[in-house]
Amino acid sequence: MKPLNQKAERVQQAAAEGQMEEVRAMQTVTAGCATTFDPGWEVDPFGGLAALCQPMEADLYGCSDPCWWPAQVPDIMVNHQNWDEGAPNAATDWRALGTTYPTDAET
Amino acid sequence: MASRSGGLTAAMLLTFAGATPAFPSEELLQDTCGGCHTAEDGGLTRITGQRKTPEGWIMTIVRMQQAHGLDISAEDRRAIVQHLADTQGLAPSEAAPFRYALEKDPNAQESFDEPFASMCARCHTGARALLQNRTADEWELHMDFHVGHFPTIEYQALGRDREWYKIAKTEIADYLAEQNPLETAAWTDWQVGEKQPVAGAWVVMTDLPGIGEAYGKLTVTGEASPYQISGEFVTADGTAHPASGQMNLYTGYEWRANLDIGGTVYRQVLALSEDGNSLQGRQFDRGNDALGAPLHGVREGAGSVILGTVPSAVPAGEAQVQVVGTGLDGLESSTGAASANGFGAALTLAAEGNGVVTFSAGGAEGQIAHYTSVDSLRVEPALTIARVGGGSDAGPDAVPAYFNAVGMWNGPDGEAGTEDDIRIGRVEAQWSVANAHEHAAHMKDTEYAGEMQANGIFQPAIAGPNPERPFSANNAGELKVQAEAMGQQAEAMLIVTVQRFIDPPIR
Repeated sequence: MKPLNQKAERVQQAAAEGQMEEVRAMQTVTAGCATTFDPGWEVDPFGGLAALCQPMEADLYGCSDPCWWPAQVPDIMVNHQNWDEGAPNAATDWRALGTTYPTDAET
Repeated sequence: MASRSGGLTAAMLLTFAGATPAFPSEELLQDTCGGCHTAEDGGLTRITGQRKTPEGWIMTIVRMQQAHGLDISAEDRRAIVQHLADTQGLAPSEAAPFRYALEKDPNAQESFDEPFASMCARCHTGARALLQNRTADEWELHMDFHVGHFPTIEYQALGRDREWYKIAKTEIADYLAEQNPLETAAWTDWQVGEKQPVAGAWVVMTDLPGIGEAYGKLTVTGEASPYQISGEFVTADGTAHPASGQMNLYTGYEWRANLDIGGTVYRQVLALSEDGNSLQGRQFDRGNDALGAPLHGVREGAGSVILGTVPSAVPAGEAQVQVVGTGLDGLESSTGAASANGFGAALTLAAEGNGVVTFSAGGAEGQIAHYTSVDSLRVEPALTIARVGGGSDAGPDAVPAYFNAVGMWNGPDGEAGTEDDIRIGRVEAQWSVANAHEHAAHMKDTEYAGEMQANGIFQPAIAGPNPERPFSANNAGELKVQAEAMGQQAEAMLIVTVQRFIDPPIR
């Protein structure tokens, strides 16, 4: 069989390198790809971390952009449109992702 | 209308007791907000129908900056928060159930009934909603605000499984309008009641994480915000840490201070009691709010009051204990010798074995346990979270977690973990972490998630994908935090998770 896309090619590569354990269907990792707090930002629906996307940077924009965790992670769609500036690839450019609440805004 | 700087004349500045910035006027609010908010009966549209905490108001103004391009200086922003919190704040009794959110208590856990839990507290603390009071119209508009700012709200999990908008506009808006209406007797009474002055000397007791249990004295001077604070904190070994800084008092009782204590800036989020004689809240490292502890205070000379002891418990034998409080001349103790001092009274003990020393003065009572053994240990908190962080200039710092080991005696029933257990106090412990379960062991969480320090503080690892881990996982982890002391062991649960990129004063 010839891989049709990059993902399939990665699977074939993993099999060749004996790393099939790391190849998991999304549904088995995140208990179903859903929105907001399913899985949550800090913890998964079972109160742990096992079902969260790891690393979170791998799929960060795909989730945060449509307001996945609107109180924890800036959405680029409406509220924090420049948050991803300088970080086109979150997995490699994560150091450019900053906090959004101004540190001098204190009572 | 004159510009803001021109609007505040020298005469006005003098009128407001020389504090900088001057107490805000209606003009400052009008000048800053009136470009968008039009005048209506009693004030400006949208603003008049709401009451909030100081933190609630500053979050609103920051949102006006970020979403609507408001250009405002930090000084004017604080001055407007002062004005709005003073004139449209919350009464002490209204804020009381939700102070944990203002105090940024990392260990508080909420529990709300449906549908409020899923409709509101699924994204932010329930406290964030319930620390506001609004007119019925304003609560309804608040639902539309959410749809406008978070347009996917209706198809997110716990949104798409119901008629979200209908429930929000009817059930939730009605519920909040009834629970937290704009006009309440509590607020009316608080507004007309006489406010107590905050200036004077305060005896305080807290814990400086990583340093130790501490008592101190803070002297507040000034006539208006910002007040000046100076004083010191003293740890159990007698080491004094000088303290100085500024405090803003909002709504007549909301104490917000930044204090340099021995070279570290701490923030105090406290409430002044209605009689003006006590303080209660939380003090935390300003740069790292997970590192904090409750703080109690009493006005010096406010009768006889005992806040507690530093240390909270002592090994048997000779010991020096500070009974923290005021009006403790002639403190009588069941054993040992007491002499009054500026922080209450010093108590010299020479107690053997396990037992409790009781003491009293002027009707105030207190006690301290002395021990040679403990029957069980307890790790506090039993469950908390830490966050990976750092590794970049822009991203959030790591958020540590702070644990304490508390010694317990079994009590009359001779069994550990029952209601009659006797709390001895904090004890020195050896700390370690273990993987919480099989998956954590597989991911080698103990190796990657961070380091448990000897002082009970867990310091999480660096943020970002870690190529050494399966899936290049973050340095997240699920750990058991284990304490060992005097032959006893106890553990707590720690979840080391990812960064929080939006971290406002009310989460």
